[in-house]
Amino acid sequence: MPQQTNAQNKQHSFQTPELQTLSIRDELEKLAWQQNPGLARNMSTRTTRKKRRARLSIRIQDRILFSLAAVLLTLFLIRTASANDEQWGLQLTSTTGQYTQLAVSTDIQVDITGLIARVEITQKFSNQGNEWAEGIYRFPLPQGAAVDRMYIKVGERILEGEIQEKETARRVYEKARDNGQTATLVEQQRRNQFETRLANIGPHEAIEITIGYLHNVSYSDLSYHLRIPMTFTPRWTPGQVSDGIPLTAALIGAALRSTQQVEPVLIPPGNSNDHALSLQANLISKFEFAAIESRYHDVDIRQVDNGYQVELLDPGAITDRDFDLSWTPALQAIPSASLTTFNDGDSVYAQLMLAPPLAKAITAQAREVILIIDTSGSMQGGSLEQAQAALLHALKSLGPDDYFNLLQFNSVTEPLYDQSVPVTQTSLYMAQNFITSLQANGGTDMAPALKSALAMPEIPGLMRQVVFVTDGAVGNESQLLQRVAADLDNSRMFTVAIGHAPNSWFMRKAAEIGRGSYIHIGKLDEVEQQMSALWGRIQVPALTDICVDWGDSAEFYPEIIPDLYAGEPLWLIARLPAEPTIISLCGEFNDQQWDMDVNGWDAAGGLSGSDNLAILWARKKIESLEDALMFGADRELTQLEITGVALDYGLLTRHTSLVAVDKTPRRDVSETFGQANVPGLLPAGTSSQLAGFPNTATGWLTQLLLSLFVLLLSFSLLWFSGSRLPTVPRHS
Amino acid sequence: MIHRRPLRHHWILAAVCLTAALFSIDALWIPVKAEVAQILLARSWHQTLAGNPDAKPWPWADTRAVAILEVPRLGLREVVLEGSSGRNLAFGPTMVNSTPVDKTDDRILSGHRDTHFHFLKDLKKGDVLRLVTPGGSREYQVSWLEAVDIGQQQLVIDDGIERLTLLTCYPFDAPTTGGPMRWVVTAVPFGQNTNVAKNNTSGKVIPGPRVAEPGTSFRLPSSY
Repeated sequence: MPQQTNAQNKQHSFQTPELQTLSIRDELEKLAWQQNPGLARNMSTRTTRKKRRARLSIRIQDRILFSLAAVLLTLFLIRTASANDEQWGLQLTSTTGQYTQLAVSTDIQVDITGLIARVEITQKFSNQGNEWAEGIYRFPLPQGAAVDRMYIKVGERILEGEIQEKETARRVYEKARDNGQTATLVEQQRRNQFETRLANIGPHEAIEITIGYLHNVSYSDLSYHLRIPMTFTPRWTPGQVSDGIPLTAALIGAALRSTQQVEPVLIPPGNSNDHALSLQANLISKFEFAAIESRYHDVDIRQVDNGYQVELLDPGAITDRDFDLSWTPALQAIPSASLTTFNDGDSVYAQLMLAPPLAKAITAQAREVILIIDTSGSMQGGSLEQAQAALLHALKSLGPDDYFNLLQFNSVTEPLYDQSVPVTQTSLYMAQNFITSLQANGGTDMAPALKSALAMPEIPGLMRQVVFVTDGAVGNESQLLQRVAADLDNSRMFTVAIGHAPNSWFMRKAAEIGRGSYIHIGKLDEVEQQMSALWGRIQVPALTDICVDWGDSAEFYPEIIPDLYAGEPLWLIARLPAEPTIISLCGEFNDQQWDMDVNGWDAAGGLSGSDNLAILWARKKIESLEDALMFGADRELTQLEITGVALDYGLLTRHTSLVAVDKTPRRDVSETFGQANVPGLLPAGTSSQLAGFPNTATGWLTQLLLSLFVLLLSFSLLWFSGSRLPTVPRHS
Repeated sequence: MIHRRPLRHHWILAAVCLTAALFSIDALWIPVKAEVAQILLARSWHQTLAGNPDAKPWPWADTRAVAILEVPRLGLREVVLEGSSGRNLAFGPTMVNSTPVDKTDDRILSGHRDTHFHFLKDLKKGDVLRLVTPGGSREYQVSWLEAVDIGQQQLVIDDGIERLTLLTCYPFDAPTTGGPMRWVVTAVPFGQNTNVAKNNTSGKVIPGPRVAEPGTSFRLPSSY
């Protein structure tokens, strides 16, 4: 055959790849044939074909063998991997002796001015061991917090933290640690998790760390709201969440004392001095408040010159639950704006807030509502049930003049109607049937669903609102967001996240781009409450198509200005080249053109802000830069840009850290140095312990099925190959 | 002329065949072990009850039976072991708490989803669970069932609260192991009306579901 091949090669200009690749064995055979031409002549074409087939079948066998071996190897790896899990997550924190136990007490100081909360958390640590220690501890912060300060107090000395580029900061810290200097490093790990490292805490020594951050107070449904997370653990809450936790309500003018019965917390005896919490919040405002409420703590509220002062009542309070404060000012019925500015010499930072009008001042408008529900496999079970309940709730809330449509999507998109229909008994009945018969199955192909929903013919004169109910389990977030941005046109997008771990970033961004809002339903019994809240808002768009003219070239966030709904404020922060003289706002209110000018100097409230505004602006800019990554911004460039902004404004980010080093070395480098992970500092609810979730699956069935499959295949191969397959004749 | 010659890959095939067989036996051994261990454990449990607190189910065992878990509706009865190590989980449901079984009221049991705790799939709200410990027998009623992401949430043990929690991996029929989800069944003492928790004014702590709101928590260091 090789000879034939050679002959063919001469005749044809092209060769088939199989013939080109000759093995060493072929070469040897060729040699043999050349030395003994008789051999080649004896071989008939039939044998040649057979031989080729035989070689081919061996290759297939090789392949099967290879696959089988691969399956076995995988099985082996699975086995050894699960064998390694033996000790996983079984120790209880703080009860084991392997960690240095550090006690902690926490003092929190909150100053709230307008929409900005300045929070300073001071924690005392003490090394109760007999060795020098390095502590590592993680602490929670609210999402979007701008961390900009850190002080450590060792003995009588106070060191101030400095923002540095992440790598540099780490090097500085590590060097100081190895030198025996006291040092602290704060790094951001994720969006809302930070890690503090503390080096060279002497035996039985106390150290105090203060971390300061700025946070925007949230505002919805007529009241302001601030939550300070205190634990890593979601606290188990007595009673059912849906029913509402009893609130501390203290009406101004009435007794300024809370009346709430706080559930007793169980403190093991002898431990009660650790983890103590003290907290003071100052609400700085010229206005009177209608109510101040603390959700989980008993508080004492006092009216002072520049506002109100809130203090924890219980001297035995510990950091076992989040602090949650809300306060309600009185409101006018027409949208009013307030402006705060700060001039740092180079630029002016301005914060503009549009207070929402009360719902009763607004006439409800007919809308076109398109409900999209995700029925992909990931929604199976509880998630689908919640989504169905949410949709049924949405149907009930439709007005008589509204139009609506329903779409479900998984791998395919299925609309109820080709275009939106008026709300009638028949259409509602059809929709209910459609919803109740939904089943979760298949992939999450979100793009076609969005596309077909947005491509449906619009109902003239009605605002289109798209309500998207999903767990957001998608991989191509950026593409989808781009699609939302491109196709949305004048429609509004509301996202309803479902389930335990929805992709909240994606959902929030989609709502932001779509000028709508975002809610999360984590449990079936939250559906009613959450959907009512969402519906109450979107039913009455207060101020739409808002435009803001800052005068000069302004860099402001959020870049897409959302509609103003009853119950939600509009909040903008900008950097301007100069003090704004006049800021013009326009929009549509009750179907009519609405205009408003805000005078820079004498706007309602007339507050002149502090450098906090600049920091918050920088935080928003960084967030926007991070978001741009999702739209394909260059990674390295963005990192440089973020680092630049963070260093300029002194902010802790993923690329910058806070570091503080004591100049004088304190530990003799020869002394032993124990590195302690500090779980004892974790949720300081002393009444409880934390336990890990053990790994509770053996996977024996998968292993059995796989290995049986391999067994069967290899055995049959063994059985047949010996007898049936043609083999190569020996030539030797 | 065709020679019948054993394939030169035969020995590899044979090896693959043998290994696969060993793996099959290894896989089958898991449920077999799980069953056999329960029988031996039941014996040691009776010894424990008879007043021998250190009764070992087999001479080299480093665990012991601490309780019996019964589910009357499903006709199930399982011996619970001390210590949630991977090895103990192979033999039976285990107690997650490190405190002795009668020293706490807030008990957490874990078991493999594909052996002892497969029945968690069939548990419904309202089902009665019975836990027999040397200290006595208690009845609980299943009140909450939920899937939890371990990256998002933590188990909290509150010694003063009486409840029984059963844990296993989730989803039940996932082909691979080591996923982040757990199925958590929380049961409260039988007869205790869970609705009471809503308007609890007695000042007494009423049990609630073990895991709280998702998204409000933070991951613990992996080294804890």
